[in-house]
Amino acid sequence: MPQQNRAEDQKEKRPRFCINDHIDILIEILKRLDGPSLGAAACVCRLWCAITRNDSLWEHLCFRHVSSPPPSSVRPVVVALGGYKRLYMVCVRQVLSRLGHSDLVRRVWTGDEVQLSLSLFCVDYYERLGSGSGRLGGGDASASSLMFLCKPVNV
Amino acid sequence: MGPYDSAISAGSSSGSSSSSTSKPHEIDGLLAGAGYKVRSSDLRQVAQRLERLETVMVNSPSDVSQLASDTVHYNPSDMASWVDSLLSELNNPHALPLPSDLPDFPDLIASPVLNQTTMQNDDAWADPNIIPPHQLKVVTAMEEDSGIKLVHMLLTCAESIQRGELALAGSLIENMQALLTRVNTVCGIGKVAGYFIDALNRRVFAPRGFANNSTYGSAYENEVLYHHFYEASPYLKFAHFTANQAILEAFDGHDCVHVIDFNLMHGLQWPPLIQALALRPGGPPLLRLTGIGPPSPDGHDSLREIGLRLAELAQSVNVRFAFRGVAASRLEDVKPWMLEVSPKEAVAVNSIMQLHRLLGANNTRNLPIEMVLGWIRNLNPKIMTVVEQEADHNQVGFLDRFTEALYYYSTMFDSLEACALQPSKALAEIYIQREICNVVCCEGSARVERHEPLAKWRSRLVQAGFRPLHLGSNAFKQASMLLTLFSSEGYCVEENEGCLTLGWHSRPLIAASAWQAAADVSNPLGIVNHNNGQVL
Repeated sequence: MPQQNRAEDQKEKRPRFCINDHIDILIEILKRLDGPSLGAAACVCRLWCAITRNDSLWEHLCFRHVSSPPPSSVRPVVVALGGYKRLYMVCVRQVLSRLGHSDLVRRVWTGDEVQLSLSLFCVDYYERLGSGSGRLGGGDASASSLMFLCKPVNV
Repeated sequence: MGPYDSAISAGSSSGSSSSSTSKPHEIDGLLAGAGYKVRSSDLRQVAQRLERLETVMVNSPSDVSQLASDTVHYNPSDMASWVDSLLSELNNPHALPLPSDLPDFPDLIASPVLNQTTMQNDDAWADPNIIPPHQLKVVTAMEEDSGIKLVHMLLTCAESIQRGELALAGSLIENMQALLTRVNTVCGIGKVAGYFIDALNRRVFAPRGFANNSTYGSAYENEVLYHHFYEASPYLKFAHFTANQAILEAFDGHDCVHVIDFNLMHGLQWPPLIQALALRPGGPPLLRLTGIGPPSPDGHDSLREIGLRLAELAQSVNVRFAFRGVAASRLEDVKPWMLEVSPKEAVAVNSIMQLHRLLGANNTRNLPIEMVLGWIRNLNPKIMTVVEQEADHNQVGFLDRFTEALYYYSTMFDSLEACALQPSKALAEIYIQREICNVVCCEGSARVERHEPLAKWRSRLVQAGFRPLHLGSNAFKQASMLLTLFSSEGYCVEENEGCLTLGWHSRPLIAASAWQAAADVSNPLGIVNHNNGQVL
């Protein structure tokens, strides 16, 4: 009986740790997730959803495996063209999976691949500008010329 | 055309071919050495049936295992009848004898309804409805043969048109249209042949309708088709990205740059360049873009709209940008004063599949191309990027042109097969079909698709006073990366003396090159004549 009490006391002495009280730690953890996991994390609760909407998490994801960090001028351009989350969803994810054959995680990006992703992202932005006027024959908001990236690779 | 070549003789009026002229009942010597008895006359049929056997074995492997255990091979060295026995086991549970005396005309599958006498007829075909469904798997050999036949008939028809024998051409066209109904026109040779038969049909039966380009549809239609061609295949993307890389490198260190685009369309080439200039070390320059395009009807200024979109993009990424549209229905109508080039700026001239429109027939003098290249040279651009189809569609002889076009566009349609994006793929095919029609049906000033290969462009541009600029390894790397993003594995990028070509299975289909005005021998400082009305 006294042993049980001591166990309960020890339990009560140790403060409960709730990750939601420590946003900075949460962000550090989320920074290390891959794309799909980050998407799943966004569905956990409202707080996590708000945090994962933070574009800097996705920026970290996009450039995590780049051999040298991108210059500071990249960020305003990406933000202007739609943000890092969109960059990841529309371009980086597909480019990474197509250009890397085996283990995606350990693969290092080259500056050329980054540049190509950004160029394709820019085309995406431009087409979305145009889809409002309906000139391109379709009211589809998704960028049509990047749809080739969504096709499964015929290996 | 391979082993069937000798069997398809040059008899253009009849569709069937005669059997080989050597003694038909002689046993083939080479196979006899391997232990098989095959008559020389039967060689072709045996080959076809071996192919069929292979197809059946691949399609229904379960039957094969039964075959291995149950079939009695009476005389394996007699290859013809051995294959027949295997085929009859697989095709028909009640082993029907396959007729062994088929004429050389494409193979007909045995069916209970057909008897031997009807097959002696040269133009007899098995009615596809009679063939039981489980035998349809082995009709591929028949289709291949028809495909080859179609190609042969197309070339014969073209030759008769060249000779002026239009009546013969007409009857050939009718034969081909009949043959087309028995071939799969959804893909492959059937589809390409269909377009060429249609083009020949128009040339022979409706010559007046194609005197001018207005029958090809409005500029808006062209833009839409062009856009879908851009989406469905990598050719235009390759052109844009390669040209942009060269222009970006040429503009290095300049603060005022001016790009002249000979065919603006939707302006899809320029967003990546604007973005790359925004990110270049040292900051973006002042970018001017002059876009040339056809005038739009009904007061709708499409050039200005595209310019506004590009300006909006440039503003988002903080690039100082100015746009000017020049509406001209033909490139030769553009005069350099319309471009308002300032001497302080670095100029880039960009021509994506436009220069070939300026070529006339080979024997005319003062071609528009010489005039246009002349004023381009006088602008002294930092770079001129030229992308052209890698084909010789400007030959004088119709048959040569037709043959070249047939192989070029077959390859291009082949490469499009891998595309799964509808409706882009269908519209891209219509875009290509219009090119085919122009190459095949039109003559004189109406024929604008006068493609010439890279070698000819090289000599032409050098003669006009340009020297080549090598495209560099960055462009090559970028092009290769772009291609690996496409799902199809058949595309290949090649480097050709400083130029890049993109092709399908080692046949180059489009070539990109870069040029600069060469320094004059008599003008060592490179001072060019500015008397073309430039605004200073």
